[in-house]
Amino acid sequence: MELLLLLLIIIPLLTAFLIPLIDIINKKARRILVLAASLAEFFTFLFLVINNWDNIADGTIFIIYKMGGWLPPLGIVLSLDMLSFYFSLLITISVMFLILYSIGYIGHHEGKYYVLIFLMWTAMQGVVLTGDIFNFYVFVELLLITSAALIGFRRNKKGTIASIKYMFYGVIGGLFIFIGIILLYSNLGTLNYAEISANFTTLPFNTQGIISILFLIGLFIKLGIFPFHFWVARAQSTAPSPISALLSGVVEKVYIYAFLRLFWVVFDFNYIQTTGLDKIIIFTAITSSIIGHILALQESDLKRMLAYSTIGHLGIIIAVLTVNTKLAIIAGLLHVLSHLLMKISLFTTAGYLLQFVPSHQIKDSRGVAQQNMFVFAGFIIAAAGMMGLPPMLGFFSKLYIVKSFLDNSYYLSALLTIAGSITALIYYARYIIYGFRKIKLNSPQEFRLILSVLYRERLVTNIALVFAVAVLITGLIYKNFFGPLESVANILYNPSIYIDFILGG
Amino acid sequence: MINHIVFIFIFLLGFYAILVKKSLIKMVIGLNIMEGAIFYWFIAITDRGGIIPIVQSTQVAFNLNDPIPQALILTGIVIGASTSAFLLTLIIELNKFTDSTNPDQLGGIIED
Repeated sequence: MELLLLLLIIIPLLTAFLIPLIDIINKKARRILVLAASLAEFFTFLFLVINNWDNIADGTIFIIYKMGGWLPPLGIVLSLDMLSFYFSLLITISVMFLILYSIGYIGHHEGKYYVLIFLMWTAMQGVVLTGDIFNFYVFVELLLITSAALIGFRRNKKGTIASIKYMFYGVIGGLFIFIGIILLYSNLGTLNYAEISANFTTLPFNTQGIISILFLIGLFIKLGIFPFHFWVARAQSTAPSPISALLSGVVEKVYIYAFLRLFWVVFDFNYIQTTGLDKIIIFTAITSSIIGHILALQESDLKRMLAYSTIGHLGIIIAVLTVNTKLAIIAGLLHVLSHLLMKISLFTTAGYLLQFVPSHQIKDSRGVAQQNMFVFAGFIIAAAGMMGLPPMLGFFSKLYIVKSFLDNSYYLSALLTIAGSITALIYYARYIIYGFRKIKLNSPQEFRLILSVLYRERLVTNIALVFAVAVLITGLIYKNFFGPLESVANILYNPSIYIDFILGG
Repeated sequence: MINHIVFIFIFLLGFYAILVKKSLIKMVIGLNIMEGAIFYWFIAITDRGGIIPIVQSTQVAFNLNDPIPQALILTGIVIGASTSAFLLTLIIELNKFTDSTNPDQLGGIIED
């Protein structure tokens, strides 16, 4: 049973190294291997869920895997509690669907692509499951290098520049985290999350502050929050569409997991609240959010517009989590889910629609609705979620975000969240109106693929529609998410449970 | 105290190279200087002036230096080497499209 945690990390890692070997033998077998491995990962997770269903339902799931049999404070542990379960679930399902989408979307240099995407999957599962802070750093750097390689995957000038830029920001962010880890180790003599958590408050007041600020700067650089948001638009717009979806939808959520795990469970959140650091975080994040929405409004390129909208939403999520009431945490976690579904849906549908237009410019997108009504409808559903229109999950998550801002008298934040939604309404409506504009076709053949990389059209459209339908359905059943998310919030509020499970078990 | 001052000086030197130098290669060197500063500092502040592990069983195992910083720095060096190798690969790749390695001519490192 404990071995399943290791398998979640090992299966993608092993597949990444098997793909080049399979390539030598038979190139046709590669896609079968990719499909089999992603299904194997999914069924491993499913097996884990079925076996622990009772514990998951009442929120007491806790699995620990001791690497090499070494006991926790000395050895490295992998652990799964409700918080890591929630994020691991999101990662497993969305990356599996995005790999299926890639099978239809990526038509060249496939071998390299799948090696990198599986390593990225390894890194994301590793960050979520690990219980050791240095291990966390190693997985974060693995995530950085593989995602940078995928950003520059098209091997053109724009992609290479975007990749270099992403690397510089990411490495510097990683160095800040590394300095924080060194300070933790030299003061506490341990790298285990639980032991750090048990002893963190014994540190001198200033040391606690320096460590918190170093980790905060590192994570904000990697998340692309306001003073460090310069890499986001380039990186997410030049990458292939499934990778844009992955970066914006999933990788950013992994860093949000790190933010939650480190600042609530491992470090002491009371420290941040007593020093007033939380006001600064909320201010920065909300500024970041409104800047992201304004930059998206003035953007004429579709994928860059979506990337700026990511900055806008991440700012809101970070701000509402920092408010730190139970409702605020639940609202933030709900928005993590809804933003993940909506952004993946937008990027996958856009990736399909952009095959039929001469450039990524919004004004060139005239008449894309004529080409494929279903996919365009998917885009509209996801965009409606982004604007915060009622039946979608985006509406309910934003409703609770605004409610938790108002309850704690952050009136300006609530106002700016609503203003951001209205801005989103304008910039998505602009694209949709262009899409509906009729253009006269000279011949039926004229609207064929302009960029002929898409060779399994049906697979791509179906996966894109799966995410759009998920946005709609999760909106209809949003009340069911409150129970599980409340038990996630309980983990955050009671670090002692985590400490007892790891050090006591 | 001297360790902290030297660390901050070298670290900021590397950061200065990234912010000011007009060549991507020099910026990568700046990153390496920053990493080097961190490794030096970590060794310096965890040094207790004892015997350096690995210790054989016949020796008396007292006043040992902590072996974990060595392991962590070794991992850090590997990560640093791979990031700079990857960055240099990207710069070589960029050379196919343009002769310049000046970040300002490539759209700037600050503007998006």
